[in-house]
Amino acid sequence: MNRKRALVSDTFKVKKRKTGSEKFGVVDDHGDGQGDIKSTIMDLMTLFPRKLFNDAVPQIVLKHQLYSIHDKTMVDKEVNKLRESGSLLMFQLGFDAEAFGLVFASDYKAKVLAGEEGKATRATVEKFLEKVVSKCTDLSFSKDKMLREFLFTDSEITQLVKSGVLTVRDAGSWWLSIPNTGKFIKYFIQGRKAVLGMVKKSKYGEVLKDDLEQRRTTSHVKFHIKYHINDIVGAELVESVPTTSGTLLRYVDS
Amino acid sequence: MLGFLTARRAGLDDPLRLRRAESTRRVLNLKLNPDRDVDRIHGNGINSIDIETIEGRYMLSGGADGVIVIYDLENYSGKPQYTCKAVCTVGRSNRHVHKFSVETVLWYPYDTGMFVSSSFDKTMKVWDTETLKPAEVFEFESNIYNHHLSPIARKHSLIAVGTKNPKIQLCDLKSGSKIHVLQGHKAEVLSVRWSPRYEHILATASADSKVKVWDVRRASGSLFSLDQDNGDKSKSSSEAVNTAHNGRVNGLSFTSDGLFLLTTGTDDRMRLWNSATGENTLVNYGKVCNESRKGLQFTVSQGCSPEFVFVPCGSSVAVYVLHTGELVTMLRGHYNNVDCCKFHPDHQELYSGGKDGNILAWVPVLRASDMEEESDQKNKGAADSSAGNRALQDAWSSDED
Repeated sequence: MNRKRALVSDTFKVKKRKTGSEKFGVVDDHGDGQGDIKSTIMDLMTLFPRKLFNDAVPQIVLKHQLYSIHDKTMVDKEVNKLRESGSLLMFQLGFDAEAFGLVFASDYKAKVLAGEEGKATRATVEKFLEKVVSKCTDLSFSKDKMLREFLFTDSEITQLVKSGVLTVRDAGSWWLSIPNTGKFIKYFIQGRKAVLGMVKKSKYGEVLKDDLEQRRTTSHVKFHIKYHINDIVGAELVESVPTTSGTLLRYVDS
Repeated sequence: MLGFLTARRAGLDDPLRLRRAESTRRVLNLKLNPDRDVDRIHGNGINSIDIETIEGRYMLSGGADGVIVIYDLENYSGKPQYTCKAVCTVGRSNRHVHKFSVETVLWYPYDTGMFVSSSFDKTMKVWDTETLKPAEVFEFESNIYNHHLSPIARKHSLIAVGTKNPKIQLCDLKSGSKIHVLQGHKAEVLSVRWSPRYEHILATASADSKVKVWDVRRASGSLFSLDQDNGDKSKSSSEAVNTAHNGRVNGLSFTSDGLFLLTTGTDDRMRLWNSATGENTLVNYGKVCNESRKGLQFTVSQGCSPEFVFVPCGSSVAVYVLHTGELVTMLRGHYNNVDCCKFHPDHQELYSGGKDGNILAWVPVLRASDMEEESDQKNKGAADSSAGNRALQDAWSSDED
């Protein structure tokens, strides 16, 4: 790599950095604590369009969107901590083995119960939320577990699948899921393809991040473009190159 | 740097600290040096490189054409410009050369009198370096992907061999037998490594997405299999339960202290495992491009803080920080895919070989010297240099300025 400035390890940096020095292009806010990851999640959630789904779906952030902002290993650790404490729930979204959706537990419970108003399956879903979701941090459940540990009957499991809280994984096991997310995933994949196409079609297959944010999106892109940009950068579908005029996103051919 | 030296002299700092700091600085400065070259003997791709651990002077390389070359890495010529010459070769004209491509070459860990090579012609040959004749030939029924000798073994002299067959064979150098077999994998074994910490622990990686750790003294099967979800059966899809990767696992490397194991797989991921418990440390390196259908040889630095991993990634070598997963830099220079790389711990140099038939030496950039020092050296150099430089020497300006 042709570096004009050599990489220097931390031990050799004796001079203290001058405060208020301007940094062009390079985004520099690594090494922040747990509070920051949570606030980043909340910021990203504001990008999620609630009106599009008539408020039926809770705000979802994908785990790899956080990778584009913070250090990956730290994000993994903090997300696991939040999951252990019960405030954040993680779901396997199904279209990609590595794509995990994050939803705040309180949000999730509120939306699910709101969706169940007036339906016969309400009681079962409430029981499920109380017993399983509050205590267990698993992403999927096997039949054995459901029957023995949580004492759900077969018909109750059918009701849960019907209400959308469980999705079939394979014979005898289910993923935890968010009801009414079919539309979300459809729009998400569409939007992701469209934004990636925008980067790919640009001259040399690269575009400045700020430039991309200003562009008008086609009707295929239903979410805020920043939501999609964080997604494609975090999933490493585009390479993020720091330059003097900002971050450059280059399409990765793979 | 001077601060470190004075602290070391005064006894304020541990001697190791200066060494570590300087090694790390050198590794961060790895660059292709126009002065350092390796003789180009291979016509085809290079599949494996090994540097002997006794003197750190000789390097072995095995190529896709079946040729094995030994290079001398030391520079005794006195000039900064140096090409690592090939000391001897087992070329196509040698009677005992491998018929097909050589997949792995390894020096005998205790002296350079012997080396072992394994190839797609289903044989593994133990060569005598002096005469370049095989002292022993082990025949197998299928292509051999990888073999490894334990670097610290005192009580045994076993070579673990990974072939297309799911069974791992252990060949004994002392007796020539190969009856010891380790069963457990379900598909071809792409990589095998002995632990540098315990002489009986062996790790093997296979195309069935599993990595198993064995104690060869135990008759009943592997100690444990590495699980990427650490036992959390709910996380992945049901076929991927208890696997190390979501695709074939084709690279294995222990860190030099043997406490951690790194694995790479065709799911474009690299994972760091605690080698004692088999726990996934969940360090996220991001996408580590891996399209190799055979094994991949990657290496970990030694004696630096933090440790670095050098992984061949397409046609460049990616350098990651071991424990945080941060990508430090990409070393670009090869014209085609890089297949193997090896770190020289004493000089903090990296040698990488690839499909383009070149072995590139990545050498730490020297510190820029002061102006005064430089002109002194230039004068000395001008005084006793050969005719080549006289044309550049100017005879009309005075040197005493």
